[in-house]
Amino acid sequence: MTELDPVTLALVQNRLDHISHQMGWVMTRTARSPIFSQSHDFSCFLADAHGILISQADGIPIHTGGGGFAVRAILRDFKDATSSPGIWPEDVFLLNDPYTAGGNHLPDWVIARPVFVAGKLIAFACNRAHQADIGGGAAGTYNSAATEIFHEGIRLPVLKLIERGRTRDDLWRLLMINTRLPEALDGDLRAMIGSTRIGAERLAALVEELGVERAPDFFEGVLAHADRRFRGCIARLAKGVWRAEEPVDNDCFEPIDGKVAVTLTVKDDGLIVDFAGTSPQLRGFKNSSIANSTSAVFMALSSFFEPDLPKNEGAFRGVDIRLPEGTMVNARAPAPMTMNTVFIAHEIIHALWKALDQALPERASAGWSKAVHAVTAGVKDDGSRYVMYQWAGAPAGGGVEGRDGFHLIGHLITLGGLTLPNLETYEQLYPVRFHRQELRCDSAGPGRFRGGAGCDYEVEIFTPADYAFRGEGVGAPSSFGAAGGRAGVGGEVTLTLADGRKINAPKYGVQRHGHGTYRALSPGGGGFGDPRTRDPARVLRDVRDGVVSAAAAERDYAVAIAKDGRAIDEVLTAGLRAAVE
Amino acid sequence: MTASPVPLVAPWRIGVDVGGTFTDMVLRDARGAVRIFKAPSVPADPSEGVLGVLRLAAQQLDLPLSALLRDCALFVHGSTVATNTILEKKGAKVGLLTTAGFRDSLEIRRGIRENQWDHRAPFPEVLAPRYLRLPVRGRIGADGRELAPLVAGDVDAAAKVFAEEGVESVAVCLFNSFLDGAHERTAGAQLSRSWKGKWISLSSEVMPTMGEYERSSTAVVNAYIAPKVTSYLSALDQQLRQLGLPRSLLLLQSNGGAVSVDQVASRPVMLVLSGPAAGVGALKSCAAPGEAPNLISMEIGGTSCDVMVMAKGQVPVADELVIDGYHLTTPSVEIHTVGAGGGAIAWVDDAGLLHVGPQGAGARPGPAAYGLGGENPTVTDAQLVLGRLRPGPLAGGVRLDGKLARQAVETKLARPLGLSVEGAAAGVIRLLEQNLLHAVERLSIERGHNPATFTLVAAGGAGPMHGAEVARALGCKRALLPRAAGAFCALGMLQSDVRQDYMHVFLADLDTVDRASLEAGFAQLEARARDALGREGFANGSAALSREVDLRYDGQQWPVRVALGAGFDATAARQAFEAEHQRLFGHIQPGGKLGITALRVVGRGLLEWTTPAVPSPEASAPRAHERRKVWIDAKHGWHDVPVYEGAALRPGCRLDGPLLIEERTTTAFVGPRDQLEVDLRSDFLVHVGAIA
Repeated sequence: MTELDPVTLALVQNRLDHISHQMGWVMTRTARSPIFSQSHDFSCFLADAHGILISQADGIPIHTGGGGFAVRAILRDFKDATSSPGIWPEDVFLLNDPYTAGGNHLPDWVIARPVFVAGKLIAFACNRAHQADIGGGAAGTYNSAATEIFHEGIRLPVLKLIERGRTRDDLWRLLMINTRLPEALDGDLRAMIGSTRIGAERLAALVEELGVERAPDFFEGVLAHADRRFRGCIARLAKGVWRAEEPVDNDCFEPIDGKVAVTLTVKDDGLIVDFAGTSPQLRGFKNSSIANSTSAVFMALSSFFEPDLPKNEGAFRGVDIRLPEGTMVNARAPAPMTMNTVFIAHEIIHALWKALDQALPERASAGWSKAVHAVTAGVKDDGSRYVMYQWAGAPAGGGVEGRDGFHLIGHLITLGGLTLPNLETYEQLYPVRFHRQELRCDSAGPGRFRGGAGCDYEVEIFTPADYAFRGEGVGAPSSFGAAGGRAGVGGEVTLTLADGRKINAPKYGVQRHGHGTYRALSPGGGGFGDPRTRDPARVLRDVRDGVVSAAAAERDYAVAIAKDGRAIDEVLTAGLRAAVE
Repeated sequence: MTASPVPLVAPWRIGVDVGGTFTDMVLRDARGAVRIFKAPSVPADPSEGVLGVLRLAAQQLDLPLSALLRDCALFVHGSTVATNTILEKKGAKVGLLTTAGFRDSLEIRRGIRENQWDHRAPFPEVLAPRYLRLPVRGRIGADGRELAPLVAGDVDAAAKVFAEEGVESVAVCLFNSFLDGAHERTAGAQLSRSWKGKWISLSSEVMPTMGEYERSSTAVVNAYIAPKVTSYLSALDQQLRQLGLPRSLLLLQSNGGAVSVDQVASRPVMLVLSGPAAGVGALKSCAAPGEAPNLISMEIGGTSCDVMVMAKGQVPVADELVIDGYHLTTPSVEIHTVGAGGGAIAWVDDAGLLHVGPQGAGARPGPAAYGLGGENPTVTDAQLVLGRLRPGPLAGGVRLDGKLARQAVETKLARPLGLSVEGAAAGVIRLLEQNLLHAVERLSIERGHNPATFTLVAAGGAGPMHGAEVARALGCKRALLPRAAGAFCALGMLQSDVRQDYMHVFLADLDTVDRASLEAGFAQLEARARDALGREGFANGSAALSREVDLRYDGQQWPVRVALGAGFDATAARQAFEAEHQRLFGHIQPGGKLGITALRVVGRGLLEWTTPAVPSPEASAPRAHERRKVWIDAKHGWHDVPVYEGAALRPGCRLDGPLLIEERTTTAFVGPRDQLEVDLRSDFLVHVGAIA
């Protein structure tokens, strides 16, 4: 490869990211289902002719760097034009299967469009997005009763959905009769296809400007730059072998004593991330695929370092990921796996953060707590069905050097990318009345930078409803402390029925109940650093705010609060803190 | 520009825009003659900057200050005081009354992170701490009816805490008050009896939008800035009146319209975009009266670029604004801002890649060429290296030193990248122009517009340097480079109508809505608008009211705003909605159930349109005052380029590029295949790629 002009390289880097952003704007603007536009549960990406991800500038963090598996599956199945239909201009591919087609889990469908310039396959413009419904045992893609992938919806190997510009109507009809929401699926697929068209046009224009022979050199330059940047990050980690585990206490049906185990080896020339020792695959739907586990590793690494690190596959050239087959992080077919982008991803990220925390303590991130929210489905007075996610009772984030954890922020795998609803809006949409959504005193993990507080959330539901419980964060603490900080408290979910009967919700499972009041105490995030070194002024503020009690201030933070609750008792505090040293 | 010998004709209008570095003033007299003045801003006391520029103008016009003000019929001011109070965290100590059970909505913030990957960055400080967010029992239900009465004792208990804690300003935001503000009004009245403070902001009066987070955030920001902003503006108003100004000054609001100090006093949160929002008026002045142009503007200043889209003469106003991480639902013109300006810093990362921005060098130390201690090369430094800017004095008192610029580009960019100094500088310009292109593409794609069918208006001091090149990349045929580019917003203030927006949430099915209650809802909003305009002196022909509804498909999150004609016509409303929905989202649901979510009335006080006076066409062709070696673009490299003085170019003049124009507040660049036309308004219109 000849020397690349550095200015052109910088322009190409920005342009690739701009193209994947543009694809995202088109998706958001044209999709039907709120999963795209509000939850932003999708990603757009570009891959080179070998299926290597060259840009992923937009999208949910748990999709980071995983799209290449899908494109490489397309190349594997279609590249050879003698033994397969081949890959041609104006083709569009569709896939979702995590076992055979590089998918991460079934609800995330990938649309991939090859980009040809001067008759040569040069790249792919793609997106991956969570569909509203794909059949299977439960409406809305999450079937917590699944014990096989067949219970989770339609499986798609690599399919050619559009053949040289002509949509395969037979295939389209097959897809539409396999969903409960054909209108949403139809609209969202069209939005995905439209977005890849824009991406492919823009990418082809860029390749023409660079020259079809020269463009791959610039793609390689972009990957090499990312590689250099990430190796700069690796150099900051202490060399050695770092081990960590994250517990998995249920298989979606009953308690188990499982774990995700990771061994991080930091070498001069890269990282080995080995999951040997991880528990065998589970009966329930939290098992992970290769694509999802790889994304979880990339997300853990990216979020540990700078926010502006490139998210292409070049960044991870120095990372060797080992996923033992038959374990939770790389299950054998036909294990169910729809939940994996949230749970087992959360556990993978936690395990790897714990290992990284040892290799670079000042950059450590305490754990985020796990969600407890149920999904409630019923029938309104006018006869229409509704499905309501109780996610305003969200879990909390962990502390890092320099900032406290975020209060009820949502799933770790979005890093806060999910927007919580306004409760006033939900009262207009659903037959409910909210009683409370407030910070939960003493739920936050103590630390020099304390964890975020969980919340006390209570809502009255006026109709009979199916409650689909998902209580990963119920019970034992689900966050962890870092650098001497401690975990936040665990969560609790109860349902009080009109007759006064109180039900403790199970971790998983669907129950039907009449008019009742659902209450979730969501778990707190982990703290960073020894709480007894927290600035007493910040402890006082927490006590005044009612986020930390005076008793906890004394016990956990070694800070005594004056009787009136408005000042620090300096003398007592000096004594408490001296006793610590 | 030398002072014109032609005397001004009274009365005139004055627009004053306070920027980070300069305070700009534009004066337009009764015959339309325009004068521009620039004086340094005084961040510690912005009114000093305003008086400073007025004194400078009076001196240069050879008028006593009192005469300058006495003959001013309209004084419109864009003030950064609201914005800066928030950015500098210099607001009041705020308490909040909330419904029991919901005192944390403000701090939960719906979990919205601006950049999720940047998870180590804290949220901005919550403006009302939890110990000053106090619960009040009582409840309005989801249908607007009272479920439980307000407990007055809770208000009194809160008032006691506010007094003990030295709270200076209180916001009241109760659950479901967008449906009925009665509990808030009762609580406010009770509070004014039991609490001695005078600043009370009720969320249902500041902005009665649905959604407890954004509504409380808006009310709290209002409470936070009210004491400071209101006293500052009243003092400035009084001072100007004492100096001779015959009527109260008008402030430019985020909605692009003006308002008097009196009327904005209870809702200063409306002023957060004061300044940039004047771009709407400025864009209007780029077209003939009655014309409904398609324009995209990039206003490029020292640190940032504001992009705005005007489609068919309209810039969308939405109830959405984020300032320093705080969410507001005040009506605000849609502006997309990126960190790309003349002061944007160019840098090489630890893996050898060149970047431009988003960090800027600010006014101090500014670009390396300012010689104020800045060592980082900026876009301005690159322009100097490339011969496009002239070394020496700039408007406002700074000097550009070409040697310092070259040195910064060489040490920080050229050497690490292995490029020539000129090559590195050219790279900086190309990257900046790519950033600008991407910013324009983003806003236009998100709003469903094809930018190639628009005219690109490149304003701000740094805009006319990049307008032609960015227009070319967008596929636009025309780029408009305003002669007064460096005082674009101040100019816009002279062309901004008085405007007040009123809304209330109204939930009904479009096809079966009860006409009488719809009519009553609008009538109530119109009465408020008419009253407000009447107090500003607008009535009958000069007061224009228009009705709008927010519509959405069943189950959809975001409504689309649709203008209604005279009388309510559900079919026409549906058609307008479908056209807008198709453009914004690429699809419609034929026959889909449509819900009304809000009624809106926009009240406008129409100001008389003054056409700018235009210099007469020059008989002879203009002559360049010098030729300079200038880097053109990646394809053309360096050329000997003629440089014109702006004053020498008169309407009707046509010149082929490449060429440079030096105006008082800006330098414009016209590319090699472009043709310059000085248009009827005497602005520089570039026909992009017109020369074969």
